[in-house]
Amino acid sequence: MLEKTGVPTQSEIESVFPSDERLSKGPVAVIECFQSIPCDPCATACPRGAILPFADINDRPVIDNDKCNGCILCMTKCPGLAIMVVDITWSQDRALIKMPYEFRPLPDVGQTVQALDREGTVVAEAEVIRVQYNKSMNKVPIVSIAVDKQLVKTIRNIRTICDTPTTATHTAIQEEAQDTGIVCRCNDLQLAEIRALIAKGYTTIAELKQMARLGMGPCQGRNCLPVVVNELSRALGVPVAELPVGSFRPMVKSIYLGDLAGYEEQGEN
Amino acid sequence: MIHIDLLIVGAGPAGLMAAKEAGTAGANVLLLERSHVPGGQLVKQTHMFFGSEEQYASYRGFDISEILLDEIKKLPNVKLALNATALAVYDDGIWAAEMDGASYTKILPKAVIIATGAGEKSLAFPGNDLPGVYGAGAVQTLMNQYGIKPANRVVMLGAGNIGLIVSYQLLQAGVEVLAVCDGSPRIGGYLVHAAKLRRMGVPILTSHSVKQAAGQGRLETVVLWELDKAWQGIPGTEKVYRADVLCVAVGLSPLSELLRQAGCEMVYVNTLGGYVPYRDSFLATSRENIFVAGDVAGIEEASSAMVEGRLAGLSAAKFLGLSTPDFNAKRNDCMTQLESLRSGHAGERILSGLAQAVIGS
Amino acid sequence: MAIDEKSHILFTKPLHQTPMIYYHSTNTDINLKGDYMRISAHPILDFERGTQVSFTFDGVQVSAYTGETIAAALYAAGYRTLANSPVRHRPRGFFCAIGNCSSCMMVVNGNANVKTCIELVQDGMIVETQRGKGTL
Repeated sequence: MLEKTGVPTQSEIESVFPSDERLSKGPVAVIECFQSIPCDPCATACPRGAILPFADINDRPVIDNDKCNGCILCMTKCPGLAIMVVDITWSQDRALIKMPYEFRPLPDVGQTVQALDREGTVVAEAEVIRVQYNKSMNKVPIVSIAVDKQLVKTIRNIRTICDTPTTATHTAIQEEAQDTGIVCRCNDLQLAEIRALIAKGYTTIAELKQMARLGMGPCQGRNCLPVVVNELSRALGVPVAELPVGSFRPMVKSIYLGDLAGYEEQGEN
Repeated sequence: MIHIDLLIVGAGPAGLMAAKEAGTAGANVLLLERSHVPGGQLVKQTHMFFGSEEQYASYRGFDISEILLDEIKKLPNVKLALNATALAVYDDGIWAAEMDGASYTKILPKAVIIATGAGEKSLAFPGNDLPGVYGAGAVQTLMNQYGIKPANRVVMLGAGNIGLIVSYQLLQAGVEVLAVCDGSPRIGGYLVHAAKLRRMGVPILTSHSVKQAAGQGRLETVVLWELDKAWQGIPGTEKVYRADVLCVAVGLSPLSELLRQAGCEMVYVNTLGGYVPYRDSFLATSRENIFVAGDVAGIEEASSAMVEGRLAGLSAAKFLGLSTPDFNAKRNDCMTQLESLRSGHAGERILSGLAQAVIGS
Repeated sequence: MAIDEKSHILFTKPLHQTPMIYYHSTNTDINLKGDYMRISAHPILDFERGTQVSFTFDGVQVSAYTGETIAAALYAAGYRTLANSPVRHRPRGFFCAIGNCSSCMMVVNGNANVKTCIELVQDGMIVETQRGKGTL
């Protein structure tokens, strides 16, 4: 599901949250890093060694929750902004959540902001308790908010400016006839024209060049060729790797003929 | 005519690392960059990089660019030329370049590293050439390099890392992202990037693509529809978004024209993004003095491009007879880093592609 | 011929009869132009603008900052169409913005086919919409 929606499921969230017992002991980091990717700055970010060393750069982080004291150092090092800190002992009825917030304007302490879940839906209001931002934080401000304890596993973001939500209505739409999309900007060739040429039997880049000046404009085929080789491959049932390639000649960018004609050797050095 | 040990084409993550490594080994290096700013696509990457410490993980892309440039400036034998485009290579091994965007010069290098990177692929759909239908990287350039808000409301086509990252950066620039869609049934980019978007309220529609872009003179509406298992649109599933920009992030294609002109043997490998050069595992192509590094050798993350740049720099230095005593240790370190960057789930596609492009050892 | 009242798009052929879901934001349109469109507060980046210069686009004065490309400055000024395509004469904006494609080519100081996505603005430049392939 995560790979389809970008939103972790409840059980995935539970899998990275510390036990209720640990949560009841005070602030602790929660790392929502569900995918094995080549990234390891968190492993060396913790001065207490709470994030265990990686055997391989593609390892997923593992926290020793007993060593973690819920400081914010790892949060500013994570390129995925995947770490937050929760403290359910912060007050009688409210929990404190510290999260990275890379947007402007930053909220003011005491301000009421919207608290959002992992899909960006507003689920509650939250009070901003602290905003930490200094030069050592790598431009990752940390905003601490107080929220209803029941929502500690739900809230993952804030919104400081309250927008009107995007709405949906129904209408009919029609399309312009005959526009199949431009493949070659230099010579204004549409996809249908390329397909028609291929259907007529012009099935190599060299032939398409001669027929339609494909790849002969100022961009030298940079835009059209990746599209056209796939069209040829599909039409002919031949893998792209087996198609003959056209020739590539100087220059790679257009220059003025006058410059070429007027070129004078500056002498050997 | 410029006579030089090593010509490096492209001052992005791969080219900069290559220049640093070969320059450190003592090679006289000319590094050509066609843009007026060095760093390639690093300069518009505002997110923290993944990877490990050796690839500057947790640093933001534009900061990494500055770090690499500072190191190159310390090397008097490395010359970085901006607004300088390698135009052509001829049979006699002479390269032609446009310098300072105005004059032309011939270069005769002993060795060459091609690190030209990649270009954005496009996709044919009705209305795909309307102003407002832009490459995702183009929007990133406008927004993060020139500081111009690109749109009010955006639809993103592509849920790979570029689509996901640029969507998030659009939110950071105050743009509303109406939806991210991808023809694939699964999100292709890192799920932590996807989660960042979802908790901002951005829907990600897998098995969806663009049916049509429409507008009077500029983009006004984007029609998405659901795809069936054969990737064909399903009538009746259309969703219409009123958007002023549609970003196209359907993959990158290696910019390999110079390699072809040079006569390097090429192979089409889908999982590497298109035509890439055959090379050995130390990045030497079929032309003995030409090496490759970065996306032009196959589309990967910038972290891999940096390591490949370093490896190509080492290989070129060795070719020039400039091996340092710690050459073997350095080269082994590069190989180990590349292996671990490609060892996870995300690396499977890359490895299957490399199996078709890497020959010999 | 049918007209969609909302988008004022002319359609020539009804696609099908099923009504589709129509999403739109209730946020009112802001006419994004000029310095408003240049990002001032950003969570990660600080933008240092160059000195203010001006150029003309099809005879209209446009202000810009040094260090900006022509296409970027025009975009900030609210212009999206940079050229008319060579055969169909369709409006074109940029596509790649890094000099790979040909979508942003304009006539600059009388020279056709200038890639404006990578050409930096200069004070007093004369920039014109390119129609067709341009002449030498």
